Amino acid sequence: MQIDWLTVAAQIVNFLVLVWLLQRFLYRPITDAMARREERIETRLSEAKAARAEVEAEATRLREKQQELEASREEVLRAARQEASDLRTALEDDLRKEMEARRKTWETHLEEERDAFAARLRQRAGHQVIDIVGRVLRDYAGSDLAGQVAATFLQRLADLDAEAREKLSDAARRADGPARVESGVPLEPSARSRITRAVHEHIAPDIEVDYREDDALLLGVRLTIGEQTVEWSATRFLGRLETTLDEVIEGSSRRRSDRAPAKA
Amino acid sequence: MEISPDAWVLYEWRGLRLNATIAFTWVVMALLVLGSWAITARLSEGERVSRWQVALEVIVTTIRDQIAEVGADRPRRYLPFIGTLFLFIATANLLGIVPGYRPPTGSLSTTAALAICVLIAVPLFSIGARGIAGYLRSYVQPTPLMLPFNLIGEISRTIALAVRLYGNVMSGTVIVGILISVAPFFFPVVMQVLGLLTGLIQAYIFAILAMVYIGSASRSRHRADDPPPNETGD
Repeated sequence: MQIDWLTVAAQIVNFLVLVWLLQRFLYRPITDAMARREERIETRLSEAKAARAEVEAEATRLREKQQELEASREEVLRAARQEASDLRTALEDDLRKEMEARRKTWETHLEEERDAFAARLRQRAGHQVIDIVGRVLRDYAGSDLAGQVAATFLQRLADLDAEAREKLSDAARRADGPARVESGVPLEPSARSRITRAVHEHIAPDIEVDYREDDALLLGVRLTIGEQTVEWSATRFLGRLETTLDEVIEGSSRRRSDRAPAKA
Repeated sequence: MEISPDAWVLYEWRGLRLNATIAFTWVVMALLVLGSWAITARLSEGERVSRWQVALEVIVTTIRDQIAEVGADRPRRYLPFIGTLFLFIATANLLGIVPGYRPPTGSLSTTAALAICVLIAVPLFSIGARGIAGYLRSYVQPTPLMLPFNLIGEISRTIALAVRLYGNVMSGTVIVGILISVAPFFFPVVMQVLGLLTGLIQAYIFAILAMVYIGSASRSRHRADDPPPNETGD
């Protein structure tokens, strides 16, 4: 058991040199490399965590958005249904109004047609009646229809009350034109002279009398002096006939319109 | 029979003798340094790491963890010294299976040199951690009366460290030599295998004891009063 102090010193130096060499070639490179790797792994882990957090946040956001979309889809569907319902109601209303307007137009049109028809019928019936009455009077009474009309008018003129007669006289005095006699049928000269005489006798002795024909009067005579008028006409009979005809037409059109909605 | 490799002189020049201890120490040093350089020159910091690098990393981290387990605050500070002690002793012992090789740790000069290094390192690390005043104060703790005993303890544990390593390694070599002369075939192989085991254990014990000494001297005052570690590791 011996110690060579020179060897001891050499070994100490050797050991210190080895410490320095290993520190240079082993410990520092290895620990640095491990530290860098750990740092990088740490960085990547933190990056992965951040990315994961980001993705989770994104997923949460998307989920919320989806829920919002679901909710809004329900809302939109409900609004669309409501809108469709409103639109249908509005369209139905429009259609109903249009149908109503068409029906009114049709009724107005019908009314006008009926009126026109009634007017034509009245006119024709009047002429027919007058013609028939005139023929009957001629065949069985030996008298013409115009003469009878004149006679009836004369009778009416004679039957005027005093007040009416006075008004006519006043009108004749104020009037600067002739008295006008209108008839639905042409009057014979004899009938005209009888009427002229009656006017001179009952109203004004010296007034001039002017004769005209008016188809609208049909069977009748109208005396006009200024603003005063005396009239006898068979149109009142025709008026009654017209009323009867109106009632007949009204009844038939009502039956037709009653049937029309039933079909619709 | 030569017990110590110091007596095996390989070369002599003007009174300077190159003995086997120094020569094999250089062999061990060259092996360690070249091996480390060969591996660390191609260090990878990515995911793919070579097996040799993994082995080195395992060795370095294990040593670091052992240092941390002893209780050092900053293991990296002690890693070069303690790690080199372990690696040098372990390599020197493990190479004992190579025929013709004589472990330098079987020389009392080598173990004394290592123990002296520890003896010097303890106060250096302690001063580095606590300052000179703190270190000197530890010699008069708990009372100034303890100063001689502390000094004797410091010296005796250095000697114990040196002799323990020398005795174990030298005895292994000696026993193998004796057994070869007695039973040349079977027992030397068993003893060689045992020598590998004891060589590693000795390296571990030496390094750990050195760390315990350094650690206990470098700790703060309230921990310096802890009972001394058990030194009967062998």
